[in-house]
Amino acid sequence: MELGRKVVLFFYLLKRKYVWLFFLAPAVGVLIGIVVFPLAFSLILSFYDWNIIRAGGWSWAGINNYSTILFRDSYFRSSFKVTLLYLTGTVSVQFGLGLVVALILHQITGKIIGFLRTALVLPITMTPVVVGIIWRLMYNPDLGMLNYFLTWFGFSPVNWTGMPGTALPSVMMADIWEWTPFVALILLAGLQALPQEPYEAALVDGASSWQTFCYITFPLLSPAMLVALLIRVMDSFKTFDLIFVLTQGGPGMSTEILNYYTYRYGFKFFHLGYASALSWVLLVVVTIISMILIRILQSRGIYAKRT
Amino acid sequence: MMNEVVRVKVKKTILVAMAVVVFVVILFPPMVLFLTSIKTELDALSFPPKWIFQPTLENYKHIFQFSPFMKYLLNSLMVASLNTGAVLILGSLAAYSLARFRFKGADNIAFWILSVRMMPPVAAIIPIYIIMRNLHLLDTPWSLVIIYLTFNLPFAVWLMRSFFREIPREIEESALVDGCSDFSAFRKIALPLAAPGLAATGILTFIFSWNEFLFALILTGSKAVTLPVGITGYMKETGINWGYMTAGGVLALIPVIVFTILVQKHLVKGLTMGAMK
Repeated sequence: MELGRKVVLFFYLLKRKYVWLFFLAPAVGVLIGIVVFPLAFSLILSFYDWNIIRAGGWSWAGINNYSTILFRDSYFRSSFKVTLLYLTGTVSVQFGLGLVVALILHQITGKIIGFLRTALVLPITMTPVVVGIIWRLMYNPDLGMLNYFLTWFGFSPVNWTGMPGTALPSVMMADIWEWTPFVALILLAGLQALPQEPYEAALVDGASSWQTFCYITFPLLSPAMLVALLIRVMDSFKTFDLIFVLTQGGPGMSTEILNYYTYRYGFKFFHLGYASALSWVLLVVVTIISMILIRILQSRGIYAKRT
Repeated sequence: MMNEVVRVKVKKTILVAMAVVVFVVILFPPMVLFLTSIKTELDALSFPPKWIFQPTLENYKHIFQFSPFMKYLLNSLMVASLNTGAVLILGSLAAYSLARFRFKGADNIAFWILSVRMMPPVAAIIPIYIIMRNLHLLDTPWSLVIIYLTFNLPFAVWLMRSFFREIPREIEESALVDGCSDFSAFRKIALPLAAPGLAATGILTFIFSWNEFLFALILTGSKAVTLPVGITGYMKETGINWGYMTAGGVLALIPVIVFTILVQKHLVKGLTMGAMK
């Protein structure tokens, strides 16, 4: 082969080998710039004391911020507890109700289903701040609909978001209203994609509908459930808008989840070093949980490597 | 036999009744929002709530005339459209790369991108605030256009990757054999074939940008305030102006509802980032 052709071939093969990089590099570069770099920055900052409104710059704090968070900060412990309560409470109810709604809608046929499905998806994409406003209106102790219905049925009105005992359940109820449709929609899609053969076999064998549900529907639906679970758990850690509009974390700290606590440390108290350490603690917790869930999903062939 | 028919009918009626309950529970709260927005202040504050009243558009007129609502609206529109544009360009290239080319580490990169989508925004907001301040981008739409890429770009890459995977590889391969470059195979063949999926991705991206609150709250102050932040501004220490707040809420929801109905077909796939159809 003559030299010229060799060179052309060499560059051709080089291009073939690395062409993926040209397509991928811009997006990965952007993500490194706006995610990896800031996170590295906050990791460094988390070992310093820095109050942005006080004079004086960064002062080295070593692992003080972390040891305070883990061993001495009773507010952190309380908000960690609120986070767990919020997460487990909302997600489990959303799954219970979502499954029921999906099973109901799955059995309804005819024109009405399109209409029902459209109504079902509305809360999912609604602006969360507006969802907060809607529920603040519903919970309003003086003119809200919930107290109107309570008094109508002869109960005494409740100060929903104003009392430590009811504030957290109230925010959770709004969250459940907002996200149960999401779980229901995914489970409904899962139900509609189920194979028919196992049901025919169960019918032939004379299984009861409860047995059919327990031994066929539920196991076959588990991949859809895991996908919904992963996304719900991850998004639940991010809940901010609802709490901001409904309670601002109060009364006291009764609705202050970790997310909100970190925000307040950074942007109300301006302890940026401490807030950075808090955000890294949150990040580690979220990463561990998401890794576990993604591993489970992959073992079931979802989000799997190469198709 | 007759019994069986009755039984099926009863079962169907119960199902429809339960579905109607679900329907009412979902639609009643937004309905209250809408009704409050078309009440006069006196009607809105009356208890028990008035069901029959003279509707008015005063609240809507008022927020446009006496508050910078138009500015919030234009800011939101600008941020969401520019962000969506950037996401579609960067995202479709990356998604195509992950869907089509075989290279070492492709899965690891894909999962790293997915993990960015899982990250709570609060985790990165402090450094982002400091960086934006040093770049003098605070209170500009640009800061939001850039920062919304953190959640929208990973979302779009995963979703578009699944759309590209649905296109048979052979079409592009035959074009490559015919001497077409990789980039024109992408632009002239893959992109048009994946267009409906990309449109759905774009619409969902737009909705997510439109709805975002936390970054907008921290990175904007007055000039670049977007709708969600602007609306919460009607919530003051002295009390809430329910008329303005509900009217603003209804206006913010209109595009979201229209878009949601448009992408309904792709919603399950979109919300699970391609894991399910």
